[in-house]
Amino acid sequence: MKFAYYPGCVAKESGKELDLATRWVSARVGIELVEFPNFSCCGSGFLDEANGLLNVALNARNLAIAEKAGLDLLTVCSTCQGMLTFANRRLENAAVRAKVDGALQPLGISYSGKTRVTHLLQVLTDQVGADRIRGMVRRPLTGLKVGAFYGCHLLRPADEMHSESAEEPHSFEDLISALGATPVLYRGRVMCCGFPILFVKEPTANRIAGHQIHDAKAHGADAMATPCPLCHISLDSFQNKASTAVGEKLDMPIFHLPQLVGLALGATPEDLGLPRHLVSTDAALQKLGRVAVPA
Amino acid sequence: MFAAEKLITVPFDVYRYDPARGGEPRYQHYELQLAPHTPVLTGLLRIRDELDPTLTLRYSCRSAICGSCAMLVNSKSRLVCRTPVGPEVAEHGRIVVDPMRNQPVVRDLVVDQTPFWDRYEQMEPHLIPDPQRPMPEGRTTLMTPAQVDRFKDTPRCIACAACYSACPAVEADPEFPGPMALAKLYRFVVDPRDGGHQARLRKIQTSGLWLCLRCHLCTEACPKEVRPSERIRDLKELAVRAQGGTEPGSRHAIGFLKNIEEGGTLNEMKLVRQTSGLIGTAKAAGQGIRLVRKKPEMLKRPKTIEGIDEVRKLYRALEKDEEVPL
Amino acid sequence: MLRHDIVVVGAGLAGQRAALAAAEAGHDVALVSKLHPLRSHSGAAQGGINAAIGAEDSVETHIYDTVKGADYLGDQDAIEFFCQQAGPTVIEMEHFGTIFSRGDDGSLARRAFGGAGFPRTIYAADRTGLALLQGIYERLGTETIRMYNEWFLLSIIVRQGRVQGITAFDRKTSEVEGIAAKAVIVATGPAGRIYGRTTNAHSCTGDGVAAAYRAGANLKDMEFVQFHPTALLESSILITEGARGEGGILTNAQGERFMARYAPHVLDLASRDVVSRAIVTEVREGRGFPGGYVNLELMHLGREKIESRLQEICDFSRSFAGVDPVTEPIPVYPAQHYMMGGVGTNMRGETNVPGLYAAGEAACVSIHGANRLGGNSLLETLVFGKQAGVAAATYVSGTPEPTLLPADVEREVTRFRALWDRKEGESPSALRTELQKTMDQFVGIYRDPDELFRALRQVRALQERYRNVRVADSATAYNIDLSDAIEVGFLLDLAEVIVVGAIARTESRGAHTRVDFPARDDKNWMKHTIARWTPGGPELSYSPVAYTRWEPKERVY
Repeated sequence: MKFAYYPGCVAKESGKELDLATRWVSARVGIELVEFPNFSCCGSGFLDEANGLLNVALNARNLAIAEKAGLDLLTVCSTCQGMLTFANRRLENAAVRAKVDGALQPLGISYSGKTRVTHLLQVLTDQVGADRIRGMVRRPLTGLKVGAFYGCHLLRPADEMHSESAEEPHSFEDLISALGATPVLYRGRVMCCGFPILFVKEPTANRIAGHQIHDAKAHGADAMATPCPLCHISLDSFQNKASTAVGEKLDMPIFHLPQLVGLALGATPEDLGLPRHLVSTDAALQKLGRVAVPA
Repeated sequence: MFAAEKLITVPFDVYRYDPARGGEPRYQHYELQLAPHTPVLTGLLRIRDELDPTLTLRYSCRSAICGSCAMLVNSKSRLVCRTPVGPEVAEHGRIVVDPMRNQPVVRDLVVDQTPFWDRYEQMEPHLIPDPQRPMPEGRTTLMTPAQVDRFKDTPRCIACAACYSACPAVEADPEFPGPMALAKLYRFVVDPRDGGHQARLRKIQTSGLWLCLRCHLCTEACPKEVRPSERIRDLKELAVRAQGGTEPGSRHAIGFLKNIEEGGTLNEMKLVRQTSGLIGTAKAAGQGIRLVRKKPEMLKRPKTIEGIDEVRKLYRALEKDEEVPL
Repeated sequence: MLRHDIVVVGAGLAGQRAALAAAEAGHDVALVSKLHPLRSHSGAAQGGINAAIGAEDSVETHIYDTVKGADYLGDQDAIEFFCQQAGPTVIEMEHFGTIFSRGDDGSLARRAFGGAGFPRTIYAADRTGLALLQGIYERLGTETIRMYNEWFLLSIIVRQGRVQGITAFDRKTSEVEGIAAKAVIVATGPAGRIYGRTTNAHSCTGDGVAAAYRAGANLKDMEFVQFHPTALLESSILITEGARGEGGILTNAQGERFMARYAPHVLDLASRDVVSRAIVTEVREGRGFPGGYVNLELMHLGREKIESRLQEICDFSRSFAGVDPVTEPIPVYPAQHYMMGGVGTNMRGETNVPGLYAAGEAACVSIHGANRLGGNSLLETLVFGKQAGVAAATYVSGTPEPTLLPADVEREVTRFRALWDRKEGESPSALRTELQKTMDQFVGIYRDPDELFRALRQVRALQERYRNVRVADSATAYNIDLSDAIEVGFLLDLAEVIVVGAIARTESRGAHTRVDFPARDDKNWMKHTIARWTPGGPELSYSPVAYTRWEPKERVY
């Protein structure tokens, strides 16, 4: 399994721990990550709002870079997954295709539209498979109750993303089970984290994030895990604000997807960048019988 | 074709609550023998006819066009007249029916849709005359295929409120008008007969447009493929193009656009400044300090990508494209 | 006690158009509807609205097609007016903001419909009713009208020879109120739910027609009930005539396009009564599929055409019949669809009761005579909705204050109490089911005199049992059991009128087909049936059909 690795902007900067954990896990499950220093930002949904056509063109360029290398794209962010997939879909429209091709051609770039975009979650569950992962587990996450938080753009719109059922997905929960932890089902797991309006009306974003975390907690979750670093920002970096917004001390550790996998495969907290989290993951680590890592 | 199917046992757990009588909401259990393709609505009406005439719900056309019967079936937004019992029983073993969300319960499955209708009315959902282009006397206006196409599927909306029920922004913030109202607003903004485009966009920018989370839960819930989240996205782009960065939401989008043009990858701290201005950034300082302590690289400008010149050329080529939106 | 100048009951296309006209004239208008206006059955209309707008078509042809379609029972002066109004009406709706399908040149798209000499049916994909309903609702929003949404009509009060208002209850509370008014416009649509096999919504229970009848209004031509040929087999959900307009064909179990035998000139686009009879005959004579149906084939039209022009029926077919029309034929059989009969009015929507008006499917002018052409019903709602609104507006300018008495309201409150207090009795839904079975079996497309008499006996027995109906649900919020009970009363009254009229009319004309009188009898039966309420049942009389230019001819398609 060899992919053009598309980390996205946040994984390279404030979400660096995601990149760390991704590399650690990939090395152990046999995913080869090929890096490209010329990938540009996927647009995150915001660029799309300012100029949708340009957003498609920028992502067509990203997809062309992977195509030229003969590789499919691997994302580690639900939002990147969504934006790059949308670009492929938009290009199926003849008028859009004509305009984008017209803009790429002077740059000597041509894109056939065939690059597949997959998220790490899908690679782990579809290509590696839950059974193989279970076989690689060295520290089963027994006793840990984990609420998955998928992130909107991984699943929806369902007829564009073609991932799994958008209303009742289960790939992440299957993976959590394979790691030895207990998946927790709760309504918020397929809902929004509030991130897109964090800079538009923060209290509302905080309230939304707080609501989802509260929901997971009310259903017994000790921790949450997400395949999207933007969700992670809302749920972890801004959890203090979320707690205030819903009037409840949430204290919910939020793992990035590969961090959870890495823990089960034997990584240390440092390997996975856990000390970088704003909300300490100590309580969850203690449940696994580990000594807490000083902040 | 639905050949003569074998009947299956369908267990129903239906939400019952009468606020006038107090007490707590509860689920009442019923069981029927039904063919798998039978709609949930037929089941509910049979429950009323044969087992319990006190259950109440809204329904009328039974053919997915009047919009009366939107409810939650096993927590999913559905028109119950068009939801067969078979697949739900196969997947979940039973049919749990709840009233729609974000609307107060009147009784059982009937909800108060006043806030939903009010928000729709706030959009001024009628043609505003265009003094430059009055209606032609004695004939219809002409509408080119491109103009008709711009409506997309917004005319298919049956105002069932499934989108409103599913929306986390409606749930969290009364300032957000909800997906249906905004999709209707879009319908008027792109209508060549309407004279109020600019005023409509200006108004909605300050009354909730930018609170849409782009989560697509509305598009998922909609039984008529109206795709409201995509029309809202179109409204945002129209607003940015027509009126620039007057709101945090539009400033964020424009800031993002400029940000990527510079380095090809996101400069997080700079984006905060572009969106919120200096004062806003200062207000966020406390939170900023907390973040920077754990994630010090946020203070540094990220490395510009290779091939940034290609990115900038794409900007030049497409930044002024008139045919908006996609 | 509430009071308005004009109360419109029923908020579908006709009701909203009437309210608009009355409000534009500056009056205090109330719009009462047991559903939110956008949920009205008008929204279920699919195929289109007729107007001779194009240069190649003519109003004359539209008039002739309608006169012939009515099997010469339509009033020709009214039909002429109606067809002349068609173009301006459609143009007005477009100016109100209705989104229609368009041709490449930007003008309104048109399709062929049954019984029409020219493709003059203007449409919005296959959801024309919804498009028009949105258009009128949006326009109505610019006027000040008092909306009584989810209020249920109980009775129309007539005193001193004129209308004084209505009694109604708010479904959210079950509180009965009187609304005094100088004029009342009935636009509550049809009573299709008399039948079990009907394309009508559950809400189509003829409330306003029955209330008007009880208040002294004459009903006209009630025995003329239209069956739509192509309803889905199991659910009776409508598959629009537009499907045939776009090229769909009907085939029997032998693979034969059988309409060639019944309507050699226009085949599948013959008028609805002709096609419905054909399908029933095919099945009766053993050429239908097991289970009793024929096929509507669209496959040859191609995926693109089906999915763009017939989007909704594609959805209906897949969702409600498990059939993909792109690849498979749709199983269809006729179902009750429209009532040509209704509250008798003239061209201005006036009834025989001063202050009482009617429009839309609830009314009978008569435009459609013994059979309605597709595309003429949507048009009728708007043309006569406006006429009724205008007429009511003129009327109220010179009328004294209405008087509604507390006793009028008390009467209804007492009735409710009786329904609730009864410890044992008949369930409304059981009575309704029996009525529907009776009508389905005995008062369908082919009418046999013995069966009609049997139907009458059963309807009257049900009316007797109805005196003992009880409401088992005692909740006051949104009590369907209660509204069901009221509705069943309306249905029974109207069913009786239909059956009595069908027994009396010893000829076959349009949608009324007597097996013992298979021919049309112009000499004896070129007249409208008028039914008046009496304590002993409907009393029938007859009125002449107005004709201007077209002599009745043999009706061949």
